Amino acid sequence: MDERIVMVDPDTGLKLTEEQLDERSAMATVQLRRRGVRAGDTVLICLPVGADLMIATDAVIAAGGVACPLPADLDVDTLRSRIRESGARVLISEAPRALEAADETRVRIVMGVADLGALPPYPIRRDFCTQSDRIERRSSGD
Amino acid sequence: MGPHMMAQVPHNLPAEPNRFVGRARDVAELSALVHEERVITLSGVGGIGKTRLALRVAARAMPGFPDGVWLVELARISRPALVVNELAEVLGVRDETPGRLLDGLRVRLRAARTLIVLDNCEHLVERCAELVAELIAECPGPAFLLTSREPLRIPGELVWRVPPLELPDDHHPDAESVLLFVERALAAGARGVPGSMDDVVRLCRALDGLPLALELAAARTSLLSPGRIADRIGDRFRLLTTGDRTAPARQRTLLATVEWSHDLLTPGERVLLRRLSVFAGLFDLELAERVCADGGILRGAELLDLLSALVDKSLVLHPGAAGRYRLLETIKQYAAERLEEAGEAAQLRDRHLRVICEELEQCYGADSLNRGMPWAAIKQAFTRGRSLLDDCRAAVDRAVESGQPVLGLRLASTALAIQAVRGDLGESVGWHERLLALDLSGMPPELVAVANGGLAYGLELGDELARAEELIVRAVEEQKRHPYTHWLGINYCVALTVFFRRGKSKEALAYLDELEAAATDHDDLFNLATVRIAQLNLALFQGRLRQAQRYGEEALAIARKTGHHWTLARALTHLGAVAEAAGDLETAMFHHASALPLLADMDNRIELARCHTKIARVAAGLRDFATAGEHVAAGLALSMQTGQRRGIVRALMALSALARAQDDIEGAVSAAAAATALREAIGQFGAPGRVQELLALARARLGEGRVALLWAQGMKQMPEEVAARALDRARSGAAAPGPAGSSALPGLRYDGLTGRERQVAGLLTRGMSNRAIALELVISPATVARHVANIMEKLGFDSRAQIAVWAAKHGMDAERT
Repeated sequence: MDERIVMVDPDTGLKLTEEQLDERSAMATVQLRRRGVRAGDTVLICLPVGADLMIATDAVIAAGGVACPLPADLDVDTLRSRIRESGARVLISEAPRALEAADETRVRIVMGVADLGALPPYPIRRDFCTQSDRIERRSSGD
Repeated sequence: MGPHMMAQVPHNLPAEPNRFVGRARDVAELSALVHEERVITLSGVGGIGKTRLALRVAARAMPGFPDGVWLVELARISRPALVVNELAEVLGVRDETPGRLLDGLRVRLRAARTLIVLDNCEHLVERCAELVAELIAECPGPAFLLTSREPLRIPGELVWRVPPLELPDDHHPDAESVLLFVERALAAGARGVPGSMDDVVRLCRALDGLPLALELAAARTSLLSPGRIADRIGDRFRLLTTGDRTAPARQRTLLATVEWSHDLLTPGERVLLRRLSVFAGLFDLELAERVCADGGILRGAELLDLLSALVDKSLVLHPGAAGRYRLLETIKQYAAERLEEAGEAAQLRDRHLRVICEELEQCYGADSLNRGMPWAAIKQAFTRGRSLLDDCRAAVDRAVESGQPVLGLRLASTALAIQAVRGDLGESVGWHERLLALDLSGMPPELVAVANGGLAYGLELGDELARAEELIVRAVEEQKRHPYTHWLGINYCVALTVFFRRGKSKEALAYLDELEAAATDHDDLFNLATVRIAQLNLALFQGRLRQAQRYGEEALAIARKTGHHWTLARALTHLGAVAEAAGDLETAMFHHASALPLLADMDNRIELARCHTKIARVAAGLRDFATAGEHVAAGLALSMQTGQRRGIVRALMALSALARAQDDIEGAVSAAAAATALREAIGQFGAPGRVQELLALARARLGEGRVALLWAQGMKQMPEEVAARALDRARSGAAAPGPAGSSALPGLRYDGLTGRERQVAGLLTRGMSNRAIALELVISPATVARHVANIMEKLGFDSRAQIAVWAAKHGMDAERT
């Protein structure tokens, strides 16, 4: 695959290749759909300019949604009224101010950047003996 | 899964009290999400409708959770330590040893496909967070749906912010909030509401679309028009007298509405509402009257009318109209604040403590054991007593904080009878310890002794034998100085068990004689039966079988006289053990099979599991393998459900015996190995002789190496896997030795892909970017991205690379348009 660079992060200098963009936005699209984003839904995106913003925007469009960018530097009240006007159910952001502004709106789910990737696998313990058993047996010294 | 399966999903969800309005999309999305996410928290302010939404979603999601959908209402408990108890109670997990309920929960939930709804977590959010995080890490089966004002903030939690109902606007005059208000107003008997829709719209906006506020307002429409209500509530927002003015707008709206509704109450209704806040959960009219009425400002005779009026105003709920009432959490908090404000809190909580104590004693005092009541009446009293446990907790808390050990310990001792029959004494130990730490100087010494005896009982079950012995001896010796009560008899029995377990048979025999004399003198049949059973055990131990049988028959005769099924079941199982020892398996089978329905009826699932296992062993001896398989499976399932690892050990050993009887030595070794591994894990001693004898036989038949291998495998495997395999073999008559064939992986479906999607998948095998694919197919890159997402969703993949590998394997790389 060609190593075309689609973006260079202004802060970190990290490069995003086309392959990475395709891969990550595909994953993000699945995660958005899993959380109920359907064709025609407005999805708010309040992320700093960079790779994540690009991935999120591509993903929303691929999910059939309408990507609605929110500048992160607005004050809480303005953000809140923008969020209310949008009627959006999903907000993609990690900015504390945007999270606060999402209170008292109709946003159901706030997704962080990590939520756009794959779900973390849950560690599963395979044996029947539990933690407290081990502690107790050790301390009773048998 | 067919529709017939849906009806079989076990659950404890209440029926919906009235029609659920709106939120169609939220319900649909959440019903799908609960199958994909492990933890979903519905968050939002009180009164926004989290619980109704959760119950709706849980009911819809039922077909996907074959092991059940369980609602755990946390509003009724106040101590973080009780979250585990509440969960165990709902799931039917019993305390194996006091304080180790969580282990039982893990056993119960490990492989169970269940949905657990934890309702109202906000006041216990830290404990809930710990517990849920732990359970999802250790148990792959269950999913959690929570309602909480605050999210748990644990990894993997999906926080779903519940919004208010949609508000009307020019395009949607029939928004959700309007529909809810009109629906409830009509149900309240309002007329003219459809004619004043402008006012309804104004009111819905003023109430922010908050469901509880809308319900409270609608309940008043039989007397006030929507316009009047809107005007009055509008004034409220300016005049809010209680609560935090800086609270979020929705919270203030709700508070103002609750306050408005409260202020419209008659003085009598207000007094009753605030006093009802002392109940932990459900209460009935009689209890409400005894706790709340005082003959002065609130008379007993008017209570029913007042309660009905509060139900009409939606301030008190009457779920299922079964004669039991409760307060919604938001209302209960408001009412509790009013109770404090009126200066009545201490007085009412004292009255609650006294009434609950008396009520419980009425239901299940120790003397009820010998009243000769018919079993149906005993059982009814028992069920009633059990329904009071939530209030008992609140009452014990009050007794501790206000320093009232007498009432508190009377309550704890009486509750012990209920907790013991269910095999659940962990909480009782905590109550006794907290209450006994109070200043006991004003307390009659015989009451302190009874309480010490109660504590010793719990400690004995928890294997704290040294402390139990010290306490129980003190308790018995003190009570001997006072007139005989049934408590003394019960304490003697606890002492016997402790002495026998500590190998002090001389002391045990002395107490046994004393108890026999005292119980005979005072015609205490319940404890006399226990004496006979202890004598039976002793005779059995010493090999005096005929004498053992005589004691058993006497115990049975006493049990028949008292009519108490618990005594009857114990006499029968012990007679069964004697018959087994005498080699009379038919008689043993008869006794055990007679005890089985009694235990099932009492819902003592621990003893029931044990009884099933015994029947299985006896049936195996009688070479009735079908019956043996059936009962060992039933015992195993019960032990898994109640989280009893000792029960699982017993079932595995019975399986081993069954396999051996069927000449399946390999199966017998595997099951014994699994039993031994589990027994060692829980630090329990077993019967090594029986296992050694089996291993010797197996070595002679199968050879040293084969046995070593089987043993090692059995030790390592999951007990339920070993058990399932052994059961299969037992059922097929051990005809097919060797491991079962591994089931084939379910085939992936790919015929669901559209032609375009197959093309895109094919191009992905060449490592092309979306842009390149777009150029190739003459479509936009966004469309390519959508196809990729569709393919991933259909195939359950989460990377493009997976699609490429899969497509290559299915020959799509060669496909051309």
